[in-house]
Amino acid sequence: MRIVIAEDDPLLREGLALLLRAEDLDVVATAGTPGEFLVAVDEHAPDVAIVDVRMPPTHTDEGIVAAVEARRRRPGLAVLVLSAYVEQAFATDLFSVGAVGLGYLLKERVGRVEEFLAALHRVAGGGSVIDPEVVAQLLARNRRTDTALSELSPREREVLGLMAEGLGNSAIAERLFVTDGAVHKHIRSIFSKLQLPPDDSADRRVTAVLRYLDGDRR
Amino acid sequence: MAYVRGRVRASVNAVEHLVGGLGTATLALGALLWSVIVAVACVGGVGLLAVPGALRVVRSVADRERARLSRWGDRIPTPGPVPDGLRTAVHDPFVRRELGWVGLYSLIGVVAGLVGVALPLYAVQDATFPLWYRLVPPDAAPGIVWWRVDGLADALWVGVLGVGWLAAAIWFSPALARLQAWPGRWLLPPPPGVDLSLRVAELTATRAAALDAHAVELRRIERSLHDGTQNRLVAVNVLLGAARRAVRRNPDRADEILGQAQDAAEQALGELRTVVRGILPPVLDDRGLAGALAGLAGSCAVPCRLEVDVAVRCAASVEATAYFVVAEALTNVVRHSGASRVDVAVRREHGRLLVSIEDDGHGDADETRGSGLTGIRRRVEAYDGRMTLTSPPGGPTRMDVELPCGS
Repeated sequence: MRIVIAEDDPLLREGLALLLRAEDLDVVATAGTPGEFLVAVDEHAPDVAIVDVRMPPTHTDEGIVAAVEARRRRPGLAVLVLSAYVEQAFATDLFSVGAVGLGYLLKERVGRVEEFLAALHRVAGGGSVIDPEVVAQLLARNRRTDTALSELSPREREVLGLMAEGLGNSAIAERLFVTDGAVHKHIRSIFSKLQLPPDDSADRRVTAVLRYLDGDRR
Repeated sequence: MAYVRGRVRASVNAVEHLVGGLGTATLALGALLWSVIVAVACVGGVGLLAVPGALRVVRSVADRERARLSRWGDRIPTPGPVPDGLRTAVHDPFVRRELGWVGLYSLIGVVAGLVGVALPLYAVQDATFPLWYRLVPPDAAPGIVWWRVDGLADALWVGVLGVGWLAAAIWFSPALARLQAWPGRWLLPPPPGVDLSLRVAELTATRAAALDAHAVELRRIERSLHDGTQNRLVAVNVLLGAARRAVRRNPDRADEILGQAQDAAEQALGELRTVVRGILPPVLDDRGLAGALAGLAGSCAVPCRLEVDVAVRCAASVEATAYFVVAEALTNVVRHSGASRVDVAVRREHGRLLVSIEDDGHGDADETRGSGLTGIRRRVEAYDGRMTLTSPPGGPTRMDVELPCGS
């Protein structure tokens, strides 16, 4: 797996590279600005890009803009966006072009190396990852305005959150300490309450959930 | 000696004021002539249409004089534009006082200005006359000299006269400048009663500026927390994660990574300290403004000479603002000026705190580039203070800040 890192803070950039190289992953280039990042993408043809949201010059959403541009130049490039805080609008911008091979994580998740690596691999494999915090905020916002969502039981909401993170049935079962069968039942119930097509592939599920959660904005 | 030097400096300043005053007085003379023409035309009725225009001309000249006097001494607030309607304009309390001022100042301002400018010119011309008296015919002695100049002895007398002019210039210029300013000082400030409403309008504006400055300040703190401290802590977290993985596989490597994590943690602490100190420096409470500024000067990368003469403490918010101004200005000096030394002077005078920062760098500081200077100005104006910056290309750069002490 060939990786490019775009992060303007030198210490964090080197820390990430060090972490990934120690795991025998191939970090082919690191960049400190959106411009450098796009050059590196053109030059090194990476499989995955890890991109910080806040980058120079204005430190607002340059990272998201660069990530979208990188995917336009190199279709199929997997992108894992790291953010210091949850900004729902950024997540929405990012996923507006489709959720295949895309992830949005809070920076602090990187410290949980196993989970971070799992997310990285999932994104590289064409899957989607959304930070639990983003999902929680989307749920909280939608619960106020949406009656269908308020019909979900607390357990079903939990399952929906884990689905949005891109976890499969057995992984969800493991997290919640229940059987696969119970998870399956919850998911069927969620899909029927939200009137979503009962499709079971992991990425389609994330896409479906996102699209549903974000429905009132389109 | 110090007394003489003080007199000379005062008279040089006075001549500067007199020259500026001559400018506004000439404008006032023009405005007066125009007003008279309009007034005469009014007798026939046709001039009425031109009255508002003439009043506006007078107002704009008066505003120039207000700005000039404000730069020099107590601030004179400007009343804003002349009211639209003819009737309201004529009853406007400012307009009447301004019309009186225009008449008085056209005379006093021009005469005082001409005398004030002429004295030093005669002084130079006559004092140097013995050096060049041969170049002019004997009966064409310069300036106010009516006698025939035959030979060096006569020329020397003219030189003595020049020294006399010089003494007169040094002696009388400050008084002349005060005389020239007197009509404006008397008639241009708002009449009692009106002052309050102006003051309210001004306070409303500065209050809005204060809120704005406050928002900018919050933004700055948020930015430095996010991009500095938080990123450092994320790095610590990443490195700790890597170290935990390494412990299992390669313990030697783990120690190295833990070392890096510790460095990052120390950096985070350092940045946090900087941010916190920027909010309200605790050192101000402990050691007062002088002690706090000494700390700033001591840690400045450019050699910094500090003079603080503040016997009575000012309000805490004023001290914090002064501290912020000096901290921000020194950061600018270190980052942009290329200076080899910087002088900071702080003193309290007539209920105002005066702060000046001067460096010997290459100058050309521009307020529109970068937000440091804008930040200083906003914060100062939020406290009803004033900030002036002079920074010609090639240097030196000097910043003067004036804050009401509030106590």
